[in-house]
Amino acid sequence: MAKCDLSIELDEPDRVYGGGDKITGTVHVVVDANVKCKGLDVQTNWRTHGRGNIASGTRDSITLFSGEWTAGQNPSYRFELVVPDWPPSYHGGYINIDHCVHVRAKIPWAFDPKASRDYVMRPNRPMDSDAIPAQSTEVSGCVGYVVAAVFIGFLVFFCGGMAAAFAANPIIPIVGSVIVLPIFGFIAARYYLPKFLLGNVECELSTPIVSPGGVIEARLAFQPRRGSAINGITAALVGSEVCVSGSGSNRTTHTNKFFDESQLLQEATRLQAGSRQEFDLKFQVPSDVPYSFDLSDNDLRWQVDVRVDIPRWPDWTRSLKLLILPGEEAGHAAQPAADQQADLDAASEITFAETASHIWSSREDDEQLETLVAAVTGMTFNLETIIERRLLYAGDEDPHLYPDGYAVWARHTDPPLPLVLYVPHDLADEFEQAGRDPWSCRGTIVGWDHQHRRLQVKVLAQ
Amino acid sequence: MDPSILRWPGANLCRNPFGELTRQERAELAIVDLEPVLSHLTDANRDRWLPRRAYQFIGECGRGKTTHMLTLHQRFEDSVYVYLPEDEPCPAIPLGSPLLIDEAQRLPRRVLRRVAESGSTLILGTHRDLSRPLRRHDYEVVTHRIGLTLSPAKLATMLNRRIAASRRDPDAPVPSLSLEVAGELTRRFGTDIRGIESYLYDIVQSQVEHHGEMRFID
Repeated sequence: MAKCDLSIELDEPDRVYGGGDKITGTVHVVVDANVKCKGLDVQTNWRTHGRGNIASGTRDSITLFSGEWTAGQNPSYRFELVVPDWPPSYHGGYINIDHCVHVRAKIPWAFDPKASRDYVMRPNRPMDSDAIPAQSTEVSGCVGYVVAAVFIGFLVFFCGGMAAAFAANPIIPIVGSVIVLPIFGFIAARYYLPKFLLGNVECELSTPIVSPGGVIEARLAFQPRRGSAINGITAALVGSEVCVSGSGSNRTTHTNKFFDESQLLQEATRLQAGSRQEFDLKFQVPSDVPYSFDLSDNDLRWQVDVRVDIPRWPDWTRSLKLLILPGEEAGHAAQPAADQQADLDAASEITFAETASHIWSSREDDEQLETLVAAVTGMTFNLETIIERRLLYAGDEDPHLYPDGYAVWARHTDPPLPLVLYVPHDLADEFEQAGRDPWSCRGTIVGWDHQHRRLQVKVLAQ
Repeated sequence: MDPSILRWPGANLCRNPFGELTRQERAELAIVDLEPVLSHLTDANRDRWLPRRAYQFIGECGRGKTTHMLTLHQRFEDSVYVYLPEDEPCPAIPLGSPLLIDEAQRLPRRVLRRVAESGSTLILGTHRDLSRPLRRHDYEVVTHRIGLTLSPAKLATMLNRRIAASRRDPDAPVPSLSLEVAGELTRRFGTDIRGIESYLYDIVQSQVEHHGEMRFID
């Protein structure tokens, strides 16, 4: 039985909050027995739930109280926190994103009482275009030539190998052909046979980024090499949730198509050889569609699927990826990771404690964490650590390990950021004698251990 | 899709109970009998891990090996849990009391030898019996085969815990899954708990806007 119960009261529980807004409220504590609280922490969180592995993040966090509560007390604490800029609240079939204010009382030697209160967040500002990953919609000419060269090289190698194998044993090329020829057949059917009839097909998006309510524009053009009949040309705007559950050999991808709107660009007809065909595609995006997002194993994707349906012949198809993001009407914003990157850039004399604080506050948000770690990799600091345990096996492939050196698990003193320290052999006595006392050293950040979620630091020999 | 719309209005749920969980949630909601593990791996007072003792969970995918391992890891502060990914280099393995290695059949032979030479108390999740190489290093090994049976009562308890953990209003009731439904699920899916969860996810998701009583089976 918990010694205290927590509850959260929001000042505006029904409000739809925008990114960067302030959310205010009160934490109520009902104390049943005398109890020491090491910290009453309240934070603004988001978290996915559904079929995919859970992703989560924290935007703002404060400690409201630490000290003793006595039985019968019912203290209340006001809070004001910043709402995350991204991702938006979302409830779909396979993916859900909920935002909440979460409070936890850290009680020594007991389960920590917790409470949370959901609220709805919608971005009120557009995304920073610099923060949007470039979307490739087509294979470039250079890459196309490389693919063709590899394909032809493989074909030559395969035919030569088959001839040699046939001379040695006629069974081997038969077995090989059963496996390899269907693969070649598939590649030919998918890429080369449609091109044989239609020639080079140009298909590209003019608007790779649009807002809900906006218009997606694309262009399709080709000049048939040979006269042929077609059943039609269609384009479809498709929205899908793609999430991954499990890891390693248990990793499974789930896809839920929740939006599919088709347009007929050309009805059944006969194409004349050499007669250029051009089509302009326009899709009006409904104003209430969800935004694109990529949250680790939980993605919401939009694409335009274009198809030229050729009877008794493989169809020509192409998927053009696009992003649906908050629009201009709401002002201008930057991603939180970009904010923190700017903070780091601004501070030329940043300490390890400050760096560790940034990473610690982003530890639940993989994307933000990657950006931060990439920014500080290669920087050298003085740091104070508590040694936790030596590694039984550090991995021979680990490039950071000193020859005859040690890999040690440690944590920074404050915040308690988990670390992997790569220690040279001549410092072994020093860290062994440190025991549970803080151990100071100088080291260079070399990366992030994704599996154990630890910052990797290469300790410099003195 | 308006996020402010209340989902499962008649069921008092804040999320689909049969979606993915974090490692910590899985461990908290698991029903695991720790007694056989502790009786083999610890001394009579249960305050010291015995060296050169190993306990291995063997079973097919989706039967609960990882859940058992995570529950043990959460229960013991000094323990270390290591997952060995497929087709990737063997990750770092720290010393732990006990040391839990998931997918231990993927341990390269030289690393397994190094782990065994350390004499650490081991708990392994594996698809392959590793008792022979461990016994060669004087380990006493107990093997627990997981997923051979799953009673409707145990299944109903497991699933009802997941439903309870997805409660929206702490003072209002949530639906519960009866023994009859659990029996039908075991008839359809056998001991494949992951398959049962996946099936129930779709069933619950199809009732996201229903106001009536929740159904768990077609």
